[in-house]
Amino acid sequence: MEHILEVQNIHTFIGQYHILQGVDVRVPKGSITALLGRNGAGKTTTLKSILGLTPPREGKVIFEGREVRGMKSFDIAAQGIGFVPEHRAIFRDLTVEENLKIAERVKGEYLRKRDFIFNLFPDLSRLIALSGASLSGGQQQMLAIARALVADNRLLLIDEPSEGLAPVIIEHMMAAIRQLSQDSTVVLVEQNFLVASQLAENYVIIEEGHSVKAGAMKDLVNDKATIHRYLGAA
Amino acid sequence: MTTKPSSRLAAFFANQRGALIALLLLALLPFIVGLFDGASLAAVWVNGSGQSKFIQGLAIEIIILSIYALSFDVIFGITGMLSFGHSMFFAVGAYLTGISIKSFELGLPATLGIVFAAAIVQALLFGVVLPRVKGITFALVTLGIASVFHIVVMSSELGKYTGADVGLQGMVVPAFISPANERLRFYFIALTILALVYLLYKRFVDSPTGRVCIAIRENEGRARMLGYNTFYFKLAALTLSSFTAALAGMMHALYQPIVSPNVAGMGFTVTALLIVLIGGVGSLEGALVGALVYRLLDFGLRRYIGESASFINGAIYVVFVLFVPYGIVGTWRLKSFQIKQGWARMTGWLTGKPSSEDSAR
Repeated sequence: MEHILEVQNIHTFIGQYHILQGVDVRVPKGSITALLGRNGAGKTTTLKSILGLTPPREGKVIFEGREVRGMKSFDIAAQGIGFVPEHRAIFRDLTVEENLKIAERVKGEYLRKRDFIFNLFPDLSRLIALSGASLSGGQQQMLAIARALVADNRLLLIDEPSEGLAPVIIEHMMAAIRQLSQDSTVVLVEQNFLVASQLAENYVIIEEGHSVKAGAMKDLVNDKATIHRYLGAA
Repeated sequence: MTTKPSSRLAAFFANQRGALIALLLLALLPFIVGLFDGASLAAVWVNGSGQSKFIQGLAIEIIILSIYALSFDVIFGITGMLSFGHSMFFAVGAYLTGISIKSFELGLPATLGIVFAAAIVQALLFGVVLPRVKGITFALVTLGIASVFHIVVMSSELGKYTGADVGLQGMVVPAFISPANERLRFYFIALTILALVYLLYKRFVDSPTGRVCIAIRENEGRARMLGYNTFYFKLAALTLSSFTAALAGMMHALYQPIVSPNVAGMGFTVTALLIVLIGGVGSLEGALVGALVYRLLDFGLRRYIGESASFINGAIYVVFVLFVPYGIVGTWRLKSFQIKQGWARMTGWLTGKPSSEDSAR
């Protein structure tokens, strides 16, 4: 099986705190992989470490066969990794269209991807001239994901896509992530196990800065003991 | 579907209808004032004295301040970098113009070349610290660089060129733009430069580079996540700002024609900050409106109140910050004065209990 991303035994510090103390993640190309774990386990830090936002001090981050640990975050992103941070990190002073255009790495990318994006998120097409600040939470989340689709990203890192959204919007978001995973590989951090289990084919459980278990999601769904032990859900 | 360049240009000018009308009115201003003053159009045209000439002088000062304020707005309002050393950008243009013309008897084209070369150098000088510091540290480092420059121009060792603490005086401005005899021509040249700088800035803000600068202002980390090396964009904004401020400084030296060391001091940076706060931060038009209000207020108060003008001026700015925090242009766009919030802020300050809005920040 070809892996688009291999994270090998990374150790990340934030200030003096040793947050990640040996995390391994292997992401098969074309799959959706969920990083699971309790609050504060190190899931978001793992995503940020992959992108170099909290650079790991040790270990390897290999994207498409190339070691990217040690590169600047903008250089790692430019390799073809899109990041959708939690809290819908859009640019509030820019319009919807400007938020999308700014994600272009090659001129004309937005025009080429526009139809695909608006098919995925039809709401955005009628909000195109509005500023990011005037969108609802769900619309901002859609825009944040749409922005990561503009550039030719082969890997999307999505942090808490369902956080704070109404159930009907979550359904829509899940459908969109499923659809976009046909063209890109997705790694998502998701606190809502129901959402993660319905979306992802693979999982990695992170517990207190260590990756403790990984495998196929269909096996985890039937493993109530593991779910109870590491995720607190029955 | 792609848009033709000609239709894009037409749409751009259609969006600038207000600015074009303002430009037309400003072009007619000397003649309108002349007519009200009882002077003929011909008299205004041949630079006759009177109200028209006086108003042209005031307008030139406002234009120079506008260009200077625009240069500050692009780094502070658009890109989100607070520089406390901005006056240096202006002063370098002013001093080099004076020195080139007075001490080395260079012509205007050569002087312009020297000023622009210096503009690049000073932008790079500020740029050196960009990757290392941001926020208030950047503000303090730029203040430090500008303070060194201020000390250098005030030093007696360079007094032969800069005039030290007295300022650079005795510069002979080329006759064809002499502010004494050819003020109307100077006015039209200054107005043209302002229009071109404003259009250039509008174009910059609406360009992909400008959008990244706005993104940096909002959240630099997010801009980097998208794959942008934000250093280059901040450097681009600094260079554009440096060019424009140096150009404003050059115009100032040619118009006065004296360069006071005050233009290199911290106070002149505060002037730029006040102008964009009055007009509206990050709106570009705010820099123009702010320069107009700032200069007219300063002129009016000094004329009718005298030395106490500074005190009244300061009080007006405090009221402005309290009740018009988005500036004139920002408030106009939002269509909302902050009277209630302003009172809440003021009573909060006076009682030592911040308003709920201030506490939330």
